[in-house]
Amino acid sequence: MTNTAELRSITKTFDETKAVDDVNLEIRQGEILALLGPSGSGKTTLLKIMALIEQPTSGEVYLYDEKVNEKNAERLRLNCTMIFQKTTVFNTNVFDNVAYGLKVRKTPKERIQNEVKQALKLVGLDGFENRRARRLSGGEQQRVAIARALAINTKLLLLDEPTANLDPKNASAIEEIIAKANREKGTTVVIATHNMFQAERIPMRLALMGKGRINEVGTPAEIFGKLSKTLASFAAVENTFTGNATSAADGTTFIDIGSEIQLQTTAQPEGLVNVFVAPSDIILSRSHLESSARNVFKGRIVEISDLGKLVKLRVDAGKSFIVQITKRSFNEMGVNLDAEVFLTFKASNVQVI
Amino acid sequence: MWQKIIIIAALATVILVAGTIIYFQHFTRRRLMISTTTSLDDTGLLAEIKTAYEATHTVDLNFIPVGTGIAIQHAQNGDVDLTLVHSPSNERTLLEGGDGVCRKIIAYNFFTIVGDPSDPAGIQSLNTTASLKKIVEFGGNYSGRLWVTRGDNSGTHQKEQSLWKAAGFNYTTISAKPWYVNASHGMGDTLIMTQEFSAYTLSDTGTYLKYSKDCRIHLVAFIAQEKALLNVYSAIAVNQTKHNSVDFDDAIDFIKYLVSNEGQQLIQNFGSGNYTQNLFYGAVQPLKQNSTAQIVQWIKDYAFLNGTECPQQYRDGHPELYD
Amino acid sequence: MNQIIDGLVKALQLIFSGNPGVYDITLRSLAISGAATLMALLWGTPIALILGLKNFRGKFLIKGFFNTMLGIPTVALGLILFLFFERETGIVGFLHLLYTPTAIIIGEAILITPIIVSFATSAIETVDPQIISLAQTLGASESTTSITVLKEASAGILLAGTACFNRAIAELGVALMVGGNITNLTEVLTTAVSRHTQIGDVEVAIALSIILLIVVFGITITVNFVQRRRK
Repeated sequence: MTNTAELRSITKTFDETKAVDDVNLEIRQGEILALLGPSGSGKTTLLKIMALIEQPTSGEVYLYDEKVNEKNAERLRLNCTMIFQKTTVFNTNVFDNVAYGLKVRKTPKERIQNEVKQALKLVGLDGFENRRARRLSGGEQQRVAIARALAINTKLLLLDEPTANLDPKNASAIEEIIAKANREKGTTVVIATHNMFQAERIPMRLALMGKGRINEVGTPAEIFGKLSKTLASFAAVENTFTGNATSAADGTTFIDIGSEIQLQTTAQPEGLVNVFVAPSDIILSRSHLESSARNVFKGRIVEISDLGKLVKLRVDAGKSFIVQITKRSFNEMGVNLDAEVFLTFKASNVQVI
Repeated sequence: MWQKIIIIAALATVILVAGTIIYFQHFTRRRLMISTTTSLDDTGLLAEIKTAYEATHTVDLNFIPVGTGIAIQHAQNGDVDLTLVHSPSNERTLLEGGDGVCRKIIAYNFFTIVGDPSDPAGIQSLNTTASLKKIVEFGGNYSGRLWVTRGDNSGTHQKEQSLWKAAGFNYTTISAKPWYVNASHGMGDTLIMTQEFSAYTLSDTGTYLKYSKDCRIHLVAFIAQEKALLNVYSAIAVNQTKHNSVDFDDAIDFIKYLVSNEGQQLIQNFGSGNYTQNLFYGAVQPLKQNSTAQIVQWIKDYAFLNGTECPQQYRDGHPELYD
Repeated sequence: MNQIIDGLVKALQLIFSGNPGVYDITLRSLAISGAATLMALLWGTPIALILGLKNFRGKFLIKGFFNTMLGIPTVALGLILFLFFERETGIVGFLHLLYTPTAIIIGEAILITPIIVSFATSAIETVDPQIISLAQTLGASESTTSITVLKEASAGILLAGTACFNRAIAELGVALMVGGNITNLTEVLTTAVSRHTQIGDVEVAIALSIILLIVVFGITITVNFVQRRRK
């Protein structure tokens, strides 16, 4: 199995700080590799180096066994493309944005038309061709960026937290598109993310980053198996818990994660397992919600982080849960530190790693 | 990327310049560059001459109107092929410096002292020197403004200074007097200022007549034709030996036109439809006839250099101009 | 005051009677200043790209140079150019450019190049640096990336171009010195105003000034209009 890319002893220093510190990494053809790590751990810089738009201070980058240097960088860049965390669109209409990469590759006009149309359809922006890209909403712009990257069909696709600003529905739609590209076209994907994919369904590797270094690389099972002993590393992925599984009569499973909390999941693991709940899957409310969701817990807000359009809260319900809601909802709810809140999430949201 | 644009920019510049050179060398008529004074150009005479001349000659006359001093300088530097000025002292410098040849006196007119109709200083019917003296005397007790000068070292201003000197005054002293105003401007504005102050000033005929006709001023011309106020126009070709890129032949042709009957008629008749007086008088006929008329003597006294309109050594192979 | 009103009336008369002299002078002004603006854009854009996108030692010196040149007294520039173009003693005198429209074009172009360099560099610097990364990651070569940056900065550059043109067409000193104000050849709106003011044809002078203002106004409005349509 050939490697799409290889990083050897890559270090990148900015003004005396090492953003990336002696990283060695193989990116295997056709795989999905997720970079996990807190903000500031160097994920973005590493991705940029992989995308050949940032030169490492020392170390070598290989793309399809060809060593990258100043002369061939421009040519080799055509093999990969990166989607940035902060969405950037050109000051033209959607069509011209999505067609940019194709025009650069001197694609014939007719084919451009087709590819753009297809790409827009994939991301659900049918008919948006003539809209001015800068006038779209943040989520729509992000989808334009994705369409733009998909249209050029590169062998290597790099994404920097592509779904961070999307609502859950769009986020999973995008995840599905990326997974599909990987499945059907064999696109190699490297993605920096806070949230986990539906780990069971998609074969992937994880690389945990911290302070510019890569600490662990492996399948999710491997990593979380090891890490159950090292709690500190769990900061990489939010809302991960370990507990014993007990089957229930209706086909669900209870996981006892301690502090008298039993998470109910639709999965059917056995024994000691690692599970997680995506922060955006948890519904926050001031009072008890009547719903069919199986997991309901009461807790107190102990930390609030303002992320612009989103607000991240840490709720202590015996165990710490990270919850993510929109700013609007937060304002409407009118809650603050120490407020008593309810956490509600479905059994299907409890995912087994 | 920028290298490409810089190359295009350089190319464009080269094409522009080359195009200009080719255009002017091959596609247009030859240009005769003539430096002249603004006051002469402003009268409109040159425009008429241009139209007439270009109809019968394959040359374009390009007049460059500037101040007298600069007109002479252009000739000294060889920037022009011919100069048309009215300053004998500067013209002498031009010839003696070796830059000018073939001087021909082509026309004359008079400056005039104009002033408020009420004639505060009472200079009516006095000659120039007496008038100036009267003005200075009157100014001693006068609390207002009595004289406006152009103050810009133009031909007119230089003439004015020589008049004060001839009347026995020190110009620096005079110009410091409280009744003496410096307009620092062209003739027109100076006239208007003179009107505002109900004062006097020295003006060339052309501008005065024009402004009067347009009813912009209601000043009276107190002194008309007097020797001291004579204003003589000459044409001088630039010496081709010293400045070899000048178009000497066309310059001589033009001078010949100016002194021809046709040219002289045009000058003499200029503005006849619009004004009751002559703006210019042709100088060639009177000088040729060398009559005993007063004007001939005046011109000789004022504008001849070493007893002739153009000393032998500056006639540069065109004796026929001086028969 | 009366003269200004008379001037206004005269201006309308001259324009609507289709006075050929006036049209001739106006067209010449437009052509000369237009050409000068084009030249300045050609010279200035690459410089602005380099200043805006690249970092090198002494960059601030060059920037400072152009910013200073913005304030050059135009008579000084006119004089220097005159000395350059002078037939016998000028460095490029042999090109016989003195007293030609080309001399004015070159003169005005030199005058306005600092404007385009300063404005355009600012405009380019304001472009989000991530645009460059974006262009690169989509496969753009260095020249394509530069063009993309220019397109993103196009609003600012268009503004610069307009400022250049307006400055060029309103220039008197340089046009007078190197052009010579020769009728039917190098007489432009500004030098014509100067000439008629001297003669005392105040109405015509005011009329020509008004025409100049109308031209400048017209161009500025048109450019603004085109900008808005693009948005």
